[in-house]
Amino acid sequence: MPNGAHRQAQSAQYAGTAPRGKQGSFRDLGHLRRLFPYIRHYRGPLVITIIGFFLIRFFDGTVPLFIKSAVDSITEGEPSLMLPALGIFAVVTCRYLLFVFSRRLMRRISIALSYDLRKRLYRHVQKQGPSFFNKYSTGDIMSRSINDINLVRRLVAFAWVTIMTFVFSVSIALIFMYSLSPSLTLFVIPPLPVVALVAFKMSRTLFPYVREQQIAMGQVTSYVQENLNGIRTIQAMSQEEVEIQRFSTVSTEYADLVFRATRFRAMMNVVMPLMTTALPVIIIGYGGSLVISGEISVGTFTAFFSYLLMLTGPVRMIGMTLSNLTTGAAGTARLFEVLDYEPEIRDQPKANVPASIEGHLQIKGLSYSYPGANRSALENISIDIEAGETIAFLGRVGCGKSTILKSLVRLIDTPEGTVLLDGHDIRDYPLGRLRQDVTLILQDPFLFSDTLRLNVTYDDPSRMDEPIWTATDAASLSASIREFPMQLATIVGERGITLSGGQKQRATLARGLIRKAAVLAMDDCFSSVDTETEEEILAGLKRLRKGKTTLLISHRVSTARHADRIFIIDGGRIVESGSHAELLRKGGYYADLEAIQSNQDQDRQRKAKLLHDLVE
Amino acid sequence: MSDQTYATPVPQSSPPQRDYSAFDADLTGQAFNFQLFARLLRWLRPYRLTVAFSLLFILLAAGLAVMLPVVTGLVVIDNILRPESVSGEEPDFGMTELTYLISDVSGYTPLIAACILYLAMVTAQAGIMYLHRITLASSVLKALRDLRVDLFSTLEDKPSSFYDRVAVGRVMTRVTNDIESLNELLTGFGMLVGEFVPFFVALFLMGAISPSLTLIVLFAIPIAAVATYFFRMAMRDIFRLIRNSVSALNQYLQENLIGIQVVQLSGREGMNEEHYGRLNHDNRRFEFQAINYETLYHSFNESLASIAIGAIIWFGGGQVVQDEITLGAMILFIQLITMMIMPIVGLGEQFNVLYRAMASGERIFQAIDWDERLKEPEHPVELPPRLRGEIELRNVHFGYNKGEPVLKDVSFNIRPGEKLAIVGPTGSGKSTIIRLLARFYDFDDDMIFLDGIDLNQIRSRDLRRRIGVVLQDFHIFSGTVRDNIMLNNPDISPQQAEQAARTVNADGFIRQLADGYDTHLAERGQNLSQGQRQLLAFARVLAADPEILVLDEATASIDTATELVIQDALHKLTEGRSSIIIAHRLQTIQECDRILVLHHGVVREFGTHEELIKKQGIYYTLHELQFQDGAIAAELAGADTEEADSPVEQQADDDDDGTPPSMREPDSF
Repeated sequence: MPNGAHRQAQSAQYAGTAPRGKQGSFRDLGHLRRLFPYIRHYRGPLVITIIGFFLIRFFDGTVPLFIKSAVDSITEGEPSLMLPALGIFAVVTCRYLLFVFSRRLMRRISIALSYDLRKRLYRHVQKQGPSFFNKYSTGDIMSRSINDINLVRRLVAFAWVTIMTFVFSVSIALIFMYSLSPSLTLFVIPPLPVVALVAFKMSRTLFPYVREQQIAMGQVTSYVQENLNGIRTIQAMSQEEVEIQRFSTVSTEYADLVFRATRFRAMMNVVMPLMTTALPVIIIGYGGSLVISGEISVGTFTAFFSYLLMLTGPVRMIGMTLSNLTTGAAGTARLFEVLDYEPEIRDQPKANVPASIEGHLQIKGLSYSYPGANRSALENISIDIEAGETIAFLGRVGCGKSTILKSLVRLIDTPEGTVLLDGHDIRDYPLGRLRQDVTLILQDPFLFSDTLRLNVTYDDPSRMDEPIWTATDAASLSASIREFPMQLATIVGERGITLSGGQKQRATLARGLIRKAAVLAMDDCFSSVDTETEEEILAGLKRLRKGKTTLLISHRVSTARHADRIFIIDGGRIVESGSHAELLRKGGYYADLEAIQSNQDQDRQRKAKLLHDLVE
Repeated sequence: MSDQTYATPVPQSSPPQRDYSAFDADLTGQAFNFQLFARLLRWLRPYRLTVAFSLLFILLAAGLAVMLPVVTGLVVIDNILRPESVSGEEPDFGMTELTYLISDVSGYTPLIAACILYLAMVTAQAGIMYLHRITLASSVLKALRDLRVDLFSTLEDKPSSFYDRVAVGRVMTRVTNDIESLNELLTGFGMLVGEFVPFFVALFLMGAISPSLTLIVLFAIPIAAVATYFFRMAMRDIFRLIRNSVSALNQYLQENLIGIQVVQLSGREGMNEEHYGRLNHDNRRFEFQAINYETLYHSFNESLASIAIGAIIWFGGGQVVQDEITLGAMILFIQLITMMIMPIVGLGEQFNVLYRAMASGERIFQAIDWDERLKEPEHPVELPPRLRGEIELRNVHFGYNKGEPVLKDVSFNIRPGEKLAIVGPTGSGKSTIIRLLARFYDFDDDMIFLDGIDLNQIRSRDLRRRIGVVLQDFHIFSGTVRDNIMLNNPDISPQQAEQAARTVNADGFIRQLADGYDTHLAERGQNLSQGQRQLLAFARVLAADPEILVLDEATASIDTATELVIQDALHKLTEGRSSIIIAHRLQTIQECDRILVLHHGVVREFGTHEELIKKQGIYYTLHELQFQDGAIAAELAGADTEEADSPVEQQADDDDDGTPPSMREPDSF
């Protein structure tokens, strides 16, 4: 199975990004029952393939009978060769058709199953909240969706078929053999379980070797990746020789481990044929004596040799099959670990919520700590925001201001009754509608590698040009877009042009503004935008957001002063609140900040003008 | 330099234009490339004795494997079970005599003797096969290890101009996956040899017994070959479609995972699920198509042996009846036929491996053959043990691409121990000067001098040992903090590393980390702040103790307290060293002895702070602006989308987007 080997190399590539847990052990086999609900869907075709594979083995079992009849007819001096030959041709033809049919059906089931699982995984992951994504990195989920689903597919397509083949081949061969010569068959049976047991034991011993080998490959991969990513540093520090030396060590270790695994496999390949040799030797010795004593014919003697292939072939494969089975089971376990993860945010809307939103937000005694964190991110936050108000949050990095905004759109799960929109708990609104009415623009300006148009209209791609331009105008992005040769059709990101940090930020801003939500929450959306442009955008927003609730996070007093009320957050608590003037009078943190920044802000504006003149 | 140079601008010093697209192209290994094997032999040569033994073992094992049916067919059936039919003409390679010899010596019946012989031969065959396998694996693994290290070494020496254009992921897979493919190929080849040797031995044996019957058997070969050919033709396009659909599927999933919050906030779950479903569906469709052909082909292969058996019974039986061959010979044929068909079928399966390996081999050798490297002097000048630290740039002209000059006639000098600040907007060519001094790029002779020696006369390694470079982006290698300072340099002791950290004020925060200097840092080191990374970068370069310092100050905004710490560290770092600093902060500039103003690749002003202020030129203006925010300067200085100073813009992006390059590789079917 060269394909399988290649896939392993592929998964080794991911070893660097998401460490593979384990290669699989027999304890994992229990996880396979998780696949039943998915397989049950295909039980009709599955039964058909089982029948198909049974018939195939049955046909296989008849071929030695034809050989026997031909050989016997010769030894008896009345040669009848055409019938056996034609018989074989007929059987082969039927077997061929049946084999194509069954194998194709089986592979189709495996492909369809991986399709189903992938679909399920995607749907499941999309519903997850922050605690899930804290636990599973992108690389980890990718690895599950690629490698583990492939393992399951291989399990269904190959391991399952091999098991069927094993059962059918052995039983049919034994039945036919018994019908030819019961005594010889009884002599042949005892070594079989011994062979199977040894194959089983040895392949079990092989697992750790394979695991070691995969880990070592992961080390080689991450070594190269890291080295090449930092090649400038290495060259600048003149450390190439040392790096080559170290890589040589890593590579040698890897080669040694592969060699050890290969040596063990070679050992298995010595032991297994030696074990199975008992069978032909029994046939030659005991069978031969039966021929001499006239109890069986030479034809039967020959047929036994042919049945031998049907017996030993699958028995020798048992090791590989079991390893496929256990790796598949481990893959299943990893897959269902993710699929079993309950989305923390549940969409359980109640009917009594209002149809249209005014924008009155109440936060009542909200405390929150992130899963796994030992200190709380928010402590007893209470804010009442009237519809149409503009609110600003200020505070140090990590003070909890982003968490407040996230709580409004249920990116984190808030306790019941702590966050209310127009008097109703936000948990009562349908999640989709809540997030539509309360638009949060995230701090991290993430754009999809798609056109600007599709990025700005991400929530609803069917929008016309006009609202798009209105939004990009409001975000001061229109001028930049007009400079691109492809305008709105410009592809950004990995496959397109690279936008500057400021442009990205303004594009994400436009993506939020286009939704004209009753409540708009902006998480530090101007950090990469210069003060002048920011002022321009804020002025526009004042017009656009008239009468609508707007919340924003900023580090700049010049931004916050536009708000009706300003909240200073520190250590998850509100430490100051009030209007710009009130806070200045109070002479606290905000006033200090203002004193430091106002001076700087003036300079920055002057600086901007001067630099502008200079460059022109 | 003379005025003449001024009058006629010297030709652009730029590397030859190369076609890097070869590194992005998906090599398919369409052609059967025998040269590849010839080249691979070079790496196998050191292990030729082991390879030779391996071949010898496989020949022996194959011979024994073929003898087993001879024992059952010609000895047991013909001689022992049907002594009446023996013609004595069948070539049995002395197996009959051997059996009777064993029987005579041991006193057992010939039948038991045949059993003993059979058992002995199986044992011998298995033992020899074992030797074959481990000798083969040992030589192949060692050869490929050498190839891997050689490939890695050439990659270590590739200059920046190479890495500017070629994605790391593309090169990386050559060192990992492609070598693995070659491993598959070589061991697969060993297996194939292991199957083909018995094939020919069996063929020879069969030919000796019955040429006409052998011809019938041989008939199966072209049939299998034709089937394989058609299968390959049919599958080629489908495999490509599958590969593309899988990579589309994975890319889409990955992007959605990275931007999951945007997806959820935009309520796009349903729409995206539909889109993913479509991609998933496409993939399923192609996979279904592929298995249609695949099952037809593989089932055919599996049936081939049985068809041949039918033919042997038909024709061979007739020959037995006419006493042309013995019954044992016919049964021998039946038993050998499986041995004959297997390698042919195996060859068909190996084709995929073979072609993939061929493409891998091409990619590996393409990277090894890529002769782009830094110009090294033929007769390098040995640097004195102690440098004065005088640097001079004389009429430096340089550009990354033809016709796009980045530095135009730049001349300046740094006196021993002097600190020079280079200032200028983004795209002015500041970073390029650093890259040239670090010898990341080739440039013309007689342009840059260190202590009066042309830089091109110094081995790049010697030079880099004397000039310490601090790049803006501090690259963290996974390992401990101490490892990251020492960079595994054997010349630096752990004590020196810690001393360096103490000097640049990094000791404090390092000790506060979970395990102090033994704290493990991840490659993308999110556990360190910008300021901390900057201090670690200082410690790293200080530990190496270079005589000259070239430093690209980080632009990222840092809070006031951290900035003070960094300024102090910088002061200690540059103490007593000739230093060139690309400065973004006023304080840094004030630390320096002289200031060079670069604008659009031209030196506009050069002198002390007082001189330049008096001049009331660009520096004066910049000084008025206080250099507080590099980001704004960059934004205003144009270059909104593209940073002209950087040879290829996406470089920085590649480093930062958190996507392992491997993810972009399509998942091969």
